[in-house]
Amino acid sequence: MNLSAGARLLRSHLRPHRRALWWLAAWSAVEGVPAFVSGLLVANAIDHGFLARRPLVGFGSLAALGALYAVGALGTRRAFPWLASAVEPLRDSLVTAVVTASLRRALRGEDRAGGSSVSQATVQVETVRILMSSLLRTARQFLVTTVAALGGLFVLSPLIALVTTGLVVLALLAFAGLVRVLVARYRAVVLLGERIGATASPVVEGLRDVVVCGAETRAAREVGRAIDDEAQAQRAYARAWVLRLPVMMLGAQFPLLALLGLSPWLLAGGRLTVGQIAGGAVYLFSRLEPAIRMLIGAGGSILTNLGVVLGRLSEVCAEPPPSAPGAAVLRPPTCDVRLRGVTFAYSAHAEPVVRDLTLDIPEGLHLAVVGPSGVGKSTLANLLTRLARPQRGELTIGGVSLETVDEEHLRRTVALIPQEAYVFAGTVRENLTYLQPHATRADLDRAVAAVGLEETCARLGGYDAEIPPGGETLSSGERQLISLARVFLSAARIVILDEATCYLDPMAEARAEQAFAERVGTLVVIAHRISSAVRADRVLVMDGADPLLGTHEELLRRSPLYAELVGHWSGLGVPARETGLGVPARSR
Amino acid sequence: MAPQLPAGTLRAAGSRVLRQAVRQHPFLVLLFTVVTGVGAVTTVLMPRVVAAAIDAATTGTNVTGALAQLAALLAIATAASALDDLIGSYYGTMLTAGFRHRLLGRALALGVPGLRRFPAGDLLSRITVNAGTPAMVLPMLLSATATLSVTLGAVVSLALIDLRLAVTLLLGVPPSVALLRLFVATAAQPFVRYQELLAAITTRLLDAHRGVRTIRAGGTAEREIGRILQPVPELHEVGRQGWVVQGRASWQLALLVPVVQLLVLSVGGYALVAGQITAGQLVAAASYAGLALGSMGLLDTLVSLLSCQVGAGRVGEVLEAVPAAPAPASPVAVPPGYGRLELRNISVRMDDRPVLDHLYLAVPAGRSVAIVGRSGTGKSVLVSLIGRLADPDEGQVLLDGVPVAEIEPAALRRTVTYAFERPALLGATIHDMIAYGRPAASRAEVEAAAAVAQADRFIRLLPKGYDTPLAQAPMSGGEMQRLGLARAILARARVIVLDDATSSLDTATEAKVARALARVLAGRTSVVVAHRAMTAARADLVAWLDGGRVRALAPHSALWSDPGYRAVFGAADDTGAGEIAVRDVSGMPAALQVGVRR
Repeated sequence: MNLSAGARLLRSHLRPHRRALWWLAAWSAVEGVPAFVSGLLVANAIDHGFLARRPLVGFGSLAALGALYAVGALGTRRAFPWLASAVEPLRDSLVTAVVTASLRRALRGEDRAGGSSVSQATVQVETVRILMSSLLRTARQFLVTTVAALGGLFVLSPLIALVTTGLVVLALLAFAGLVRVLVARYRAVVLLGERIGATASPVVEGLRDVVVCGAETRAAREVGRAIDDEAQAQRAYARAWVLRLPVMMLGAQFPLLALLGLSPWLLAGGRLTVGQIAGGAVYLFSRLEPAIRMLIGAGGSILTNLGVVLGRLSEVCAEPPPSAPGAAVLRPPTCDVRLRGVTFAYSAHAEPVVRDLTLDIPEGLHLAVVGPSGVGKSTLANLLTRLARPQRGELTIGGVSLETVDEEHLRRTVALIPQEAYVFAGTVRENLTYLQPHATRADLDRAVAAVGLEETCARLGGYDAEIPPGGETLSSGERQLISLARVFLSAARIVILDEATCYLDPMAEARAEQAFAERVGTLVVIAHRISSAVRADRVLVMDGADPLLGTHEELLRRSPLYAELVGHWSGLGVPARETGLGVPARSR
Repeated sequence: MAPQLPAGTLRAAGSRVLRQAVRQHPFLVLLFTVVTGVGAVTTVLMPRVVAAAIDAATTGTNVTGALAQLAALLAIATAASALDDLIGSYYGTMLTAGFRHRLLGRALALGVPGLRRFPAGDLLSRITVNAGTPAMVLPMLLSATATLSVTLGAVVSLALIDLRLAVTLLLGVPPSVALLRLFVATAAQPFVRYQELLAAITTRLLDAHRGVRTIRAGGTAEREIGRILQPVPELHEVGRQGWVVQGRASWQLALLVPVVQLLVLSVGGYALVAGQITAGQLVAAASYAGLALGSMGLLDTLVSLLSCQVGAGRVGEVLEAVPAAPAPASPVAVPPGYGRLELRNISVRMDDRPVLDHLYLAVPAGRSVAIVGRSGTGKSVLVSLIGRLADPDEGQVLLDGVPVAEIEPAALRRTVTYAFERPALLGATIHDMIAYGRPAASRAEVEAAAAVAQADRFIRLLPKGYDTPLAQAPMSGGEMQRLGLARAILARARVIVLDDATSSLDTATEAKVARALARVLAGRTSVVVAHRAMTAARADLVAWLDGGRVRALAPHSALWSDPGYRAVFGAADDTGAGEIAVRDVSGMPAALQVGVRR
């Protein structure tokens, strides 16, 4: 169970705002003043006023109580800004922690669930904010009321107060034990509730496939199990929740019964007056009883929810121990890349995706990589950018092992453009200068013209136009153009296009590739169309067993696979003019 | 989006569902009502009995009797409360789980045409969220009734003690209600902006999740975090404003309620002095005033009840929907044969536009037919009729001489199978996904099917091979398509329909798949929706769709000389594989776009 982890998380995020919490507590105490004296004043009004036939004393006491209510209202009014000062920064720091942890996790490749966990986490942060504020607002109010009622009782009669306090403390201890059970059971409810969604969504989204497989019964059974499990967990929680009632009785109702039951003896012994018994009963029944009821009822459900959500959040925010800073500090002088016997597999059991690859990419080379899908072309791109690390073999840049290259230097020197272009909410300029924050307008114009982004820029309304979240106003091709221009603008000396132009039409693709070929530095193109290979200085044909490097013409003769790829990509049995091979190649 | 019913119809459907909900577990409902009623009565009686006990204690007369009465009432109240919780939970969970089962069952029965009316996301929210609303109504209704009766009881009790007390109380209620309303109105404004900002942060984070590879390669993680958190300062400000508004309403309310209570007490005190009521009655009056003032939340319950009706309506809409392709009244067995298909006088309209218009097509048994045509000519609609994923508006589809609409549905599923452009990832592992329709299939059979689909190699490269959980196997569009193919191959159906099922494969892989498929499908009928000329060239016959009808049915080579026919492929082949890949990736679930592995 993550109760303590959740509590730690909350403590660490609340600690900086202790001042606000103290002020909140102080004003809450003021807010509790009427509760503190109401029983006393009511007893006074009845005892010394109305019962003693002195109505002025009675009304005077009530008027004084009214004045104190005004003071209490002032407390309420002043408490709110401090509540905001405690809760709003809490939300800020939790959001920051969740966003940071979630992104880092994704960057480490651990978050395969993609976005669904993300939105859940932000919703959970908001839940913590709401729960914390109700806890501070409501449960605090009832806590103050309870203490105030006990204090009032104490002024009225220490005897009643002591007995009552003992019972209340006992009840609260029992309640604390109950909360642990409740959190565990509620956590099960939440997790199983999420499982209903998780099992139902592939079935509903893949309804067509379920129907086609004739697997309706099976699908209904699998989701049905999750539905029934959740209902079961709900009932288990409800059964535990009932246990709060005896606890409430102990803290809220026993004291009243005890007072009234012992009253003949207390009165006879002269220990209490009639007014004290009446006043005490008022405190116990109209102040303490509702306070305890709410403290345990509302407080219990808030604490339970908070415990569960904080537990979940502490899982999200849990950072793995930072890896020891390695010897990655070198800045290689050149950008010649050498691979010697490089092997990479996803796990120890799996067959290697890249096996014993030996390859030289001298600085300035324009290399195309081709091969059937799944042969490890993107893995090669990942290896070159240190997004994946080889299990065996040697990978050097400028004569220096890639492992030892300074992270910042590496990121600046090597740029990768994946198939799925990254465009984010912000201006076009922000998107373009992402890797080169100090680019001038002239630089921007040059990059935009080079990759063929002018039209899109004009359509969007210039560099200061806003791109909405998700980049919905852009087509896939336009998104690719933006990431191409972004890298064109950067200082990278090795550029890797991993099918980065696949959504462009062949003419636009040729233009963009040409621009990068003419740019200073190395260009590696993982080809989506064979025309990319035709344009390159060298072509690497990957087919798993035996990668081959050569020029387009050489490979046509030496590699049957290459010949087949070219043949197929040109469209077997289709006249050559329709194949995209007609695109002017190497027109430099 | 689904065409929504008008609000009135939705509410009516909601009312029907709610009536059902009440009728479903009559015993529990009755018990629930009784227990809630008992609880309300104890609440109303409590101050009276306490007052009597206080009076007994202070006067010293019949203390034991009064106390026994109080203890009994407290015990009854606690027992009622416990039963209320338990019955509420059992009733609620039974009802909710029942509606969830029924919603899912109905969604599966409505099938593919149902998704046009209720899209997947919409259906899911009905199953997870709305299915819970009918269960909320009865407790809400009961507690609203109880609160209302408690309030009435409190006012009546006050009146019974002294009429002036009740009048004083009622004078204080209108300003309180007005204040509450005002608060709700003013609190809404910062709240809306707050939600927008919160959503903005989520969207930015989701964006970044999709761009993980770029961010890693660019080393820009820290800047990304700053960018995602950019709305936080405004969020902070708006959040504060919300508290200010709430604070204002709270202190006014904090003053108003006790003041009304004090007024009641003063009037009561005056009556006590005048000897018209007792000390215990005065205490009771204070409690009753508190009880009556505490019921102002009732307004919100009424508002929630209205929204419940809408939620229940969303459940009812699905449950009352009629399947577009209903099961036959007297189903027949699959006739013997080798998969001869005949489409007779088929018409399909979508959004009042004819897609297929009196179409005729006959596919000889055991042959392969490519369906070819410009985009939007209804190729997918046509093939969906064969396995009754949808029924035509007019006309008949015959399988080996028997109308498919008369064949027993489960048997038809075993006879006609499909592979799609974007197969759904069903089941727990890769093995499970391929064997989803035939869970009893052996590993060897699964591997053989995967080998035909050219999926065996990449599956072996996954961390746990065939036992890799789907969630841990990020796949490209082409890899998913090959799993879908393997699943269709494993089904060993008489008729296999490939609806653009190899569009994301590079041409070399596609050729290999085609060759292997030709071997295993020998003697069975295959219908292939084709966008590439090469795919069409491999089929025995090509059905060229144009204007809602089959313009020609002939081998590819015979049609190729027709420029009109060649133009069908022109658009696709000029842009090469790129245009096809656009279709592929855009439909990939976001989760899989993050870590596309190749």
